[in-house]
Amino acid sequence: MIGATRLVNELARVVKRTRTDGISVCAHARTRRVFRFAYDAIHQGLAQEGVSVTVKVLADGRTGVASTDALDAASLTRCVATAREIARHWPPPDQLPALPVAYRLRTTQDYVPATARSTAADGAAALKRLFHLCKGAGAALAGSLVTGEDEFAVVNSTGVACYAGSTVAGAKLVTMYRQLSGYASGVTRHVKDLHLEQLLERSLRQSLHAKEPATVPLGAYEVILEPEAVAELISWMGYTAFGAKHLQERTSFLAGRMGEQVMDPQVTIYDDGNDPAALRLPFDFEGTPKQRVVLVDRGTAAGVVYDTTYGARFGEASTGHAMPADEVDGPLPLHLGMAPGATGRAELIRRCRRGLLIPRFHYVNGLLNPREALMTGLTREGTFLIEDGKVTRPVRTLRFTQSMLEAFGRVLGISRERELVADPSQELGCAVAPTVHLAAFHFTGRSEQ
Amino acid sequence: MTDRTLPRDLLAQLIRHLRRRGVDYADVRCEHLLHESLVAEEGRVASISLSESAGVGVRVLVKGSWGFASTPHLTRARLWQAAHQAIELARASATVNRQPRPLTPVLPATARHASRFAIDPFTVPLAKKLDYLLWANTALLGPDAVKRATSHLDFFKKRKLFVSTEGAAIDQRIVESGAGLEVVVQHGADVQNRSYPNSHHGALAQAGFEYVKQLDLVGGAKTAQREALELLRAKPPRAGQTTIILDPTQVVMQLHESCGHPTELDRALGQELSYAGGSFMTPEHLGRLRYGSDQVTIVADATIPGGVGSFGFDDEGVPAQRVELIHQGKFVGYLNSRESAARIGLSASGGAMRAESWAVPPLVRMTNVNLEPGRATLEELCRGVKHGYLLSTNKSWSIDDRRLNFQFTTEIGWEIVDGKLGAIVKNPLYTGITPQFWGRCTGVGRREDWRLWGVPNCAKGEPMQLMHVGHGGSYARFDGVAIAPAK
Repeated sequence: MIGATRLVNELARVVKRTRTDGISVCAHARTRRVFRFAYDAIHQGLAQEGVSVTVKVLADGRTGVASTDALDAASLTRCVATAREIARHWPPPDQLPALPVAYRLRTTQDYVPATARSTAADGAAALKRLFHLCKGAGAALAGSLVTGEDEFAVVNSTGVACYAGSTVAGAKLVTMYRQLSGYASGVTRHVKDLHLEQLLERSLRQSLHAKEPATVPLGAYEVILEPEAVAELISWMGYTAFGAKHLQERTSFLAGRMGEQVMDPQVTIYDDGNDPAALRLPFDFEGTPKQRVVLVDRGTAAGVVYDTTYGARFGEASTGHAMPADEVDGPLPLHLGMAPGATGRAELIRRCRRGLLIPRFHYVNGLLNPREALMTGLTREGTFLIEDGKVTRPVRTLRFTQSMLEAFGRVLGISRERELVADPSQELGCAVAPTVHLAAFHFTGRSEQ
Repeated sequence: MTDRTLPRDLLAQLIRHLRRRGVDYADVRCEHLLHESLVAEEGRVASISLSESAGVGVRVLVKGSWGFASTPHLTRARLWQAAHQAIELARASATVNRQPRPLTPVLPATARHASRFAIDPFTVPLAKKLDYLLWANTALLGPDAVKRATSHLDFFKKRKLFVSTEGAAIDQRIVESGAGLEVVVQHGADVQNRSYPNSHHGALAQAGFEYVKQLDLVGGAKTAQREALELLRAKPPRAGQTTIILDPTQVVMQLHESCGHPTELDRALGQELSYAGGSFMTPEHLGRLRYGSDQVTIVADATIPGGVGSFGFDDEGVPAQRVELIHQGKFVGYLNSRESAARIGLSASGGAMRAESWAVPPLVRMTNVNLEPGRATLEELCRGVKHGYLLSTNKSWSIDDRRLNFQFTTEIGWEIVDGKLGAIVKNPLYTGITPQFWGRCTGVGRREDWRLWGVPNCAKGEPMQLMHVGHGGSYARFDGVAIAPAK
């Protein structure tokens, strides 16, 4: 942990001593401690620390970007010099968007000292207990256990000085018994809220099922997608449709459809970097405060996210969704959410006559035809057949090929319960998702040898 | 730190310190990395950036368990702290692990290795690079249907020192250069794209600026634009079981997903289960499984000049090797490490341990995983095909968690009718089961059409590491494959 004062001051010093038309300096510091394990042995124990600093210089209508992974004065000076040199060679564009002005945010409300203090011995002891419980159940265990700290800071020459410090703790558990596997994951700010034994129990319930996995016919099924499966699908929508660049390039399924009904009226999807239920980050990599942006409003195409560059192109203000200055994918939503419904998860299952319960997908790809949100992917551990409102037996791996506009066009129910889904070993990107009951999801292949 | 000031003496002291701490084994990697990226969009510069990274990763084996810690701070205090953290992690793991993790032996090398290049891309004036980039980008523009025109150049320079408690001291320098472009066109609801010379970030090689000059981006831009516009008028393929021929650009992705990943021995041993899954090619199948037809020989070759999966020594000091994975259709070898090789009783590592950077530990990774060439020309492969498709340039990719059921779409296809190439088809999608698919390989193209490609974004591990891996191949023909339009 570098700390708010030191990190902001280091960046402010760079800004102050650089004589140019404009400068923005962004830093991300992080630590991670990661155990990975398989078949009751830990095969990776990792501790890493690092900082990445990106400098964007504006000079004579030109811009230059350079980055370094050191905070010492010599490295930062060299980084600024490189950015200036790059700017000198930049062909002048028509007009550069102005830097955000005078936002001053400082938060450590998501920084939990107990998470930061957790030790290697704590992690190993927790895993030893899980291995013991798993062995007692006759199953094998694999997965990962992560704790870490993140610090983001942005300082610029027009008065922006933002800092956010946070911690994260998470686990993924895969349990295996004979032909069946189960899976559960959790992520939180406070390591004490990471209930590993509950996760293990959830995973074991899937893998210790009495029945062998069934091969079911291909075709359309009702599906009940649990939060991790929903999160993966809306994250792909975020990557292919919810940024202003996708709208400009007409590859977004929202392009030309704003105000039109594109999904079922029960579906509202938004991005909210200030949502306490998410791994929130209150500003973007330009130092603009994050706005809540509704992307799909009760099924209607409603909006996309902007940074200063794409905001200027569309005549809109930045919504606080800029990515690091050296990335070219345009603004992206990193804190997606789907609004909850009014039905309990258990009730969704009870209402399903014949369908599939899917906790998560594997290897989804949303690049088949982004205009129609056509995606493919596979089921994985924990997929079960639902018959007459009851979860009856596990199902072998299936491949879907499905337009998400069609799938989310016929929603039979959305749960009131939602879960945070994120990969704790990565610093960016999360979703808060409910369980969703869809009327038809097309399965086009199965995995077999 | 720059690449000229790597702290050799400090690393030597650190190794002595680790020996005194009583580790079973330790290695230390100190790396300095440079990446220059230039991107043009719609005839303008969209981004120019230079990133620099340097640091040290310390890996220790204590009581048969691993610990790894990394730091960007190259001071004695922070390096010793990283060593202490690595030892703590290993000791903590040892309280859980019941089996020690023996390593296959390796002769500790004192060596230098440098990749070949003619022109150091970091010495080429930025103005010259931008001229080339914008020239190619402008060639993509013109018709109203063009909604996006992107071109990029990427240059990497890596300096890496590796020292170990066994006495290894290895100094490696790698330079990579790459370029590519993509055009997106739209008519009504139809959006199509074409890339050149390949998708997945174009072409990348261990080479200098001379490599990107040879790529003829301007000529490629004109072809890409023409084909993209033709795709808007093209029909999709007919759904059914048919013969397909993959061109070398799509052979890359087929190799990557259905052979490279499943032959990673750590994955086969379950060590990736919580992320991208396992493998159907588990150790009991080694030497027994019929993976493909006898036309199919696939090697992992870390010795090929120019391949981005090439090196002098891997990241645990094992010399680069050429390892057969599939011999005439039979599964005969793994990508592996000193530890994983020992676990299945092999006498030596195949040398496939690679780390994205100093910040992360090495994992078993692909090197250059290549389909060995056959003898047929494209015309000969097409001959006798009543109706089929030639498919090129990967667009989407997906494979299950045991690497069996795959589905790919490509940017473009051409119909094959009575042995002759015909009309362009759009949105082709094909799918299959890995050993069945490779078992239906009925022809592999000649060496003259064989080409080595670089893939810069192979994801694996937690935290996720993106690795540069290579794939070589010529044309390859497969019979009885399920194909359909992606819709």
